[in-house]
Amino acid sequence: MKILVVDDFSTMRRIVRNLLVELGFSSALIQEADDGESALTMLRAQSFDLVVTDWNMPNMTGIDLLRAIRAEATLKGMPVLMVTAENNRDQIIAAAQAGVNGYVVKPFTAVTLKEKLSKIFERIAASGASA
Amino acid sequence: MSTSLSNPLASDDTMPEELRELLNSPDGPAFEQALDVMVRQREQHLFRALGQLARDLHNAVRRLGGELSADGLPDMVADARQHLQEALEMSGNAAHRSIDFAERMLPQADDLANNGAEVMKWTEGNEAAAILARQAIGFATDCRDGLSDLMLAQSWQDLTGQRIKKVSNFIGTVESSMLELVRLTGALAGAEAPVSVERVTSQDDADRLLSEFGF
Repeated sequence: MKILVVDDFSTMRRIVRNLLVELGFSSALIQEADDGESALTMLRAQSFDLVVTDWNMPNMTGIDLLRAIRAEATLKGMPVLMVTAENNRDQIIAAAQAGVNGYVVKPFTAVTLKEKLSKIFERIAASGASA
Repeated sequence: MSTSLSNPLASDDTMPEELRELLNSPDGPAFEQALDVMVRQREQHLFRALGQLARDLHNAVRRLGGELSADGLPDMVADARQHLQEALEMSGNAAHRSIDFAERMLPQADDLANNGAEVMKWTEGNEAAAILARQAIGFATDCRDGLSDLMLAQSWQDLTGQRIKKVSNFIGTVESSMLELVRLTGALAGAEAPVSVERVTSQDDADRLLSEFGF
């Protein structure tokens, strides 16, 4: 599974990468971007199976990246997990309305990340089976 | 038509003499000109007060910087932002070093646990070896958990870093707003803006701009 990790902090990208590897994902298939704009460019150029993105980033925020993904025909079905320090009600609602697949509040544990990822894949499998 | 006949304000005793005379004056253009001068005078007072306020605020920020400077801290607003940026980078470097350590040690902990499990298969009749193997497995497992926690704990660098970035941006906004206030009050008070706010990048520029407006 090819995963794009988007965060302006290199430490957080590295932590998310390590946690994903710990959960069994291949490190070689994990790529990184430091803001929404460069992530969108990568998503248009290559095929990915999952996006894990932060909210607060320069140039293009995570919520704008999510909206851009949902607005683009070739990307709109992309599962997006938001991993963010933003935990106020309005922002969570905004992310849900924009079509986020999962929402993890920082700081988080490998167990939480695993739970959210499992839910995302369960829902995708269920929607695929019912389609 | 006489202004005094149609305007009850012209006979108001509480009104300043100067204004009453103006209202009673039959010379319309002179009245308007005099009124403009009065309004302008009042505006000048306001703009001077605003300018002084901006100057005081600017000096307060500089004084604060000077006090911090005594502790080896920044002596200018721009420096304060630079110091925050440096703190951000240093905490980032420290977090990366911790993650380096965890990444280096995690495979060793896995190897130790695997080797301990392998040795356990050959410890029948050798209680000392069995104890050592169990200890090695326990230690390796604890190390693994601890190293994972250590790595996750570095996510606080991201959380604190985001706050540092917000404070740094806030300081920048306050600085720009203050200079914009100086520019506006200076322009309204009659002086032409000598430089645009966007081009004010250093403390010297800020001081020069303030001085040119007479604040």
